[in-house]
Amino acid sequence: MLKKMFTIFRRDAKVNTREFLTAYIMLAPVIFAIAINLIAPGINDTTVNLALVKGDDEQMVAYLEDFAKVDVFKDVAALEKRVGRRDDVFAIVPDGDDYYVLQQGNEVEGLEQYATMMLTFYQEGMRIEDSTAIIHSFDRTVPPLKKLLVNIFMMFSAIMGGMLIAINIIEEKEDRTIRAINLTPISRTAYIFAKSVIGITLPLYGSVVLVVFTGFRGIDWGQMMVLIVVSTLISILVGFTEGLKNETVMDAAGSVKMLFLPMAGAVAVAEMVGEKWQWVAYWVPFYWTYKGVDSVLTYNANWGTTLLYALFVVIISIVAYLILMPGIRKGLE
Amino acid sequence: MIKVNGLSHSYNKDGKYAVKDVSFEVKEGEVFGFLGPSGAGKSTTQNILTGLLKLQEGEVTVAGYDVKHIKNEMFNRIGMSFEQSNVYSKMTAKENLDFYRKLFDVETKEPQFLLDLVGLGDKGNIKAGEFSKGMKHRLTFARSMINNPTLWFLDEPTTGLDPSIAADIKDIIKAENKKGVTVFLTTHNMYIADELCDRVAFIVDGDIKLIDSPKNLKMQYGDKLVEVEYIKDGETINESLSTIEENDKKKLQDIIGQSDIQTMHTKEATLEEIFIKGTGRGLI
Ligand SMILES: Nc1ncnc2c1ncn2[C@@H]1O[C@H](COP(=O)(O)OP(=O)(O)OP(=O)(O)O)[C@@H](O)[C@H]1O
Ligand SMILES: [Mg+2]
Repeated sequence: MLKKMFTIFRRDAKVNTREFLTAYIMLAPVIFAIAINLIAPGINDTTVNLALVKGDDEQMVAYLEDFAKVDVFKDVAALEKRVGRRDDVFAIVPDGDDYYVLQQGNEVEGLEQYATMMLTFYQEGMRIEDSTAIIHSFDRTVPPLKKLLVNIFMMFSAIMGGMLIAINIIEEKEDRTIRAINLTPISRTAYIFAKSVIGITLPLYGSVVLVVFTGFRGIDWGQMMVLIVVSTLISILVGFTEGLKNETVMDAAGSVKMLFLPMAGAVAVAEMVGEKWQWVAYWVPFYWTYKGVDSVLTYNANWGTTLLYALFVVIISIVAYLILMPGIRKGLE
Repeated sequence: MIKVNGLSHSYNKDGKYAVKDVSFEVKEGEVFGFLGPSGAGKSTTQNILTGLLKLQEGEVTVAGYDVKHIKNEMFNRIGMSFEQSNVYSKMTAKENLDFYRKLFDVETKEPQFLLDLVGLGDKGNIKAGEFSKGMKHRLTFARSMINNPTLWFLDEPTTGLDPSIAADIKDIIKAENKKGVTVFLTTHNMYIADELCDRVAFIVDGDIKLIDSPKNLKMQYGDKLVEVEYIKDGETINESLSTIEENDKKKLQDIIGQSDIQTMHTKEATLEEIFIKGTGRGLI
């Protein structure tokens, strides 16, 4: 039965690459990733790359390593050569008893102050423990805009997966091929699962593309996948429902697109509304996916909360399935 | 091969029946014709037999399987050609067949062999969406035999095809039947039914009026007829007269005696005429 399901999935994917609209949907994650990199470049912006001369001041190297990425080079000439390369690296060059910061001039603005500041802190003998500042959030080491966009576009990919399902159902309706499929040994349940596969694979591949292209490679991939897979449940369901309900590809795509509304709403609530009012978005599965993925992208997710959020998504989706599934089965007759 | 007992079906479960208390049997190896006017309940019956419609009332066994609880493996043994062709228009003819054959658990026919059989041998790499209506119909027909079915449902297999292709399709059906395939043929076309069927059922308003072999039906219902064309008072007149009925016989004698006869030949009743006589209804 698995082999037959794969046959159906492969057919869908093959046909989808042949049409402009569907091929575009399949390419969307790549386009999103490129767009994000253009809008919000450099994931490591707030981390400074420093270059020091080897054996110069072991203590300083140890100190600076707490705050920046430090590389050591054999002499000042090597330092200068390194700074001259295209990326953002600052050299801390010994000058008698003192040090100065060497930069190329094309580095991202503000970073240079950051580098200088760290050098000053070290020279002043400042420790983190000395700080009187109350640290509210550690998760701002990742640029918020970039993280937000990656997160949103991952949910986009999930919705796009639903759209492909709807389009593929419409194809079967227009060609009246469901009747022919119903006269083969494949069961209706297996058929529904097979038709759903593209709704999972597209978001999975899409999120991998997004994560890799935008530089979030160090995340916990397992947690990521769990959240993506559960977030596809609702778009798969909507994909089927709208595919069966609508007569043309455009109508179906339009209806599936309505999913963007609760998604955007959930993101807005999570990002801009106070703790007291968060509950208004609890019913939206995307709310939980968003929160979960947000933690994963800031590298401070744990399996406990991830699974809890995933569970919420699953529960909401099951309720939706119970409501919509009889209609889907009937629609496929 | 097929056993139907007391089959009734109401689409809206409102007491209005599309098929009412129908019973018949199709024997292994025969070509069984299911004939009736539009809206008679042919497709409804066929769809229940193939599991496309849920069985509501009655007992139906198809190829040894109880249709009340259809097992998916039943579909390995049956094939169906639809009246309205239904193939993936975005895939080529060959891809359509290649895809479909992978959904079965039994040995299947080679797509190229089937395409050659229905005269589409050189069209395998063309998308079905670019096919003419007749070509799509042939592809649908070819697909229905890909799993070597022992029971073959054919819904209007030759409608809309040009005569030479229709003749080819008829030959394929005959050849498969000779190999032992049981055929359940649904059609309006009495000539095809007459030519292919071992037995026919006449269905009208969801009710089977007659079941018998075309030959028996002709003996039973078909009077011998004489068609005469003669000139009377300068006018040409055409008339069909029975050679059995007294009135007609007398009239024929009068015509022969008094008129100038142009043409005259005997004619066997067609299945269509028998249908009208037997059911009191036309076929349209
Ligand atoms: N989906 C449906 N819902 C409600 N009534 C239906 C449905 N399909 C068919 N009917 C009704 O059931 C009756 C039998 O229809 P059916 O399609 O079985 O006729 P048919 O003999 O196949 O006709 P045709 O030769 O035109 O294909 C008709 O009165 C028709 O209006
Ligand atoms: Mg019909």
